Amino acid sequence: MALPLPLGLTHSEVAFLAEMELVTVVPRQRLESIDLLSGKTPPLRPPHRTDLPLWLALLLKKQRRANIVPPPWLHPASLAEIVHRETKVHPSSFSEPMPTSSRARQSQPGYAGRIGGNNNSDNGNGEVILSPPFQSNCTSSAPAGYLPYHWLEVAEALITHAGDDLGGNTSEIRGLLRDLVEVRAAKMRDSAETLGAEGTGGVVSLRGVGAMELAENRGFVLGVVDGVRKIGGAVETARREREEEMDLGGGGYGDGDSDDDMGI
Amino acid sequence: MSYYDIDSILTDAEKIPCTFQLDIPDLGYLDNTPNQPLKAGTKVNLPLWLAEMLVIANTGGPDNKTFVTFDLPRALGNDVVQALKADPRAVPLRDQSAHFYGLATHMMDLSEEQELGSVLRKTFVTRAAEISLHARKVGGGGSKGKGKDEGSNLGIGGAGEDFLRGLDEWERKLFRKAHDGAKSGKEWMESIKKN
Repeated sequence: MALPLPLGLTHSEVAFLAEMELVTVVPRQRLESIDLLSGKTPPLRPPHRTDLPLWLALLLKKQRRANIVPPPWLHPASLAEIVHRETKVHPSSFSEPMPTSSRARQSQPGYAGRIGGNNNSDNGNGEVILSPPFQSNCTSSAPAGYLPYHWLEVAEALITHAGDDLGGNTSEIRGLLRDLVEVRAAKMRDSAETLGAEGTGGVVSLRGVGAMELAENRGFVLGVVDGVRKIGGAVETARREREEEMDLGGGGYGDGDSDDDMGI
Repeated sequence: MSYYDIDSILTDAEKIPCTFQLDIPDLGYLDNTPNQPLKAGTKVNLPLWLAEMLVIANTGGPDNKTFVTFDLPRALGNDVVQALKADPRAVPLRDQSAHFYGLATHMMDLSEEQELGSVLRKTFVTRAAEISLHARKVGGGGSKGKGKDEGSNLGIGGAGEDFLRGLDEWERKLFRKAHDGAKSGKEWMESIKKN
């Protein structure tokens, strides 16, 4: 038997990864650039805002050397809007993930540019697709009204360690976050039920689910999918045999496809 | 299924009712009548592993005469299926068989039961959603009596306990997974506040 390690990342591992997210700080002291394995940090000059990794920002915050500018999506109004969208507008799907930075051009609403096409000057070299830790989702320039991949981890860390930078309404933010967690957990439960509906192909869209939610629900969702696969196995084999007997050159409706779908 | 999977082994030990169609010498001890041949038409409860072998073995006969036929076990009988159709949540599957789904999938391999498959699928996912709900609730109230048990009127005690007692082995595993996820989530939340 294999080691009984759980699949995927644990909560603390996810929280550790979330500390790579960039957040915006307002330094109170000068700090020269630090040469880290991941590259040099930008030098800090007191009145100027700078993007730093979350772990460094929290360290400086604890030493009272910097203040953290909360990302716009953590504002109570934005959170309330997301809660409203999750409960009233789209009660059955998770809210959209944060758009990539080239698509979120507030100056030109409705304008969709190429990903990485007209980005920051440092990565404007064509098709660069950035995944969550390297996308500036938690800086002050991130769009409001969307949840980034590491929303829960970053929000909890900021509330706990930089509560005074959030405008004094941490309890309100905390309450809204609780609502979001509960609403989305309920959706995760219901997603299990849609797996059983005949005809939908047994696929659940998990688009927009955060890293921490994935860590929490991975075992359960995989268990459900596995169970449905086992139950459907006998029926599926029978159906496939019948189809093969009826028509060998059926094409189009590939059996392999439906098999892949079941084994997410 | 793994060779060492204890649940798979236990599932194989579930009894299913079989009927012998031929007289078979020296098998009388299966029916508590040693030293006599087993009469045709005798109903015997055979473990799944044996019944499976016998059923597979007798498909290739030239005269198509089978020497053993089997019925669905009581756990998958019409009563249970009708009850599952009515409300999957209300049936304590464990009372039917501790390895209900394992048994059911085995039986579906052996016999072509179209309807059973869709009923089971519906049952499994409906109950899975319920299991997840309970798993979160228990995690809230059970760990350290933390204050976060809003809506616990649905959870622990009363109907919840009855439901959780009726889970079969597959569902128990699922409950454990969902519970572990919710529990480590809570632990992480608390650990953040500490440092």
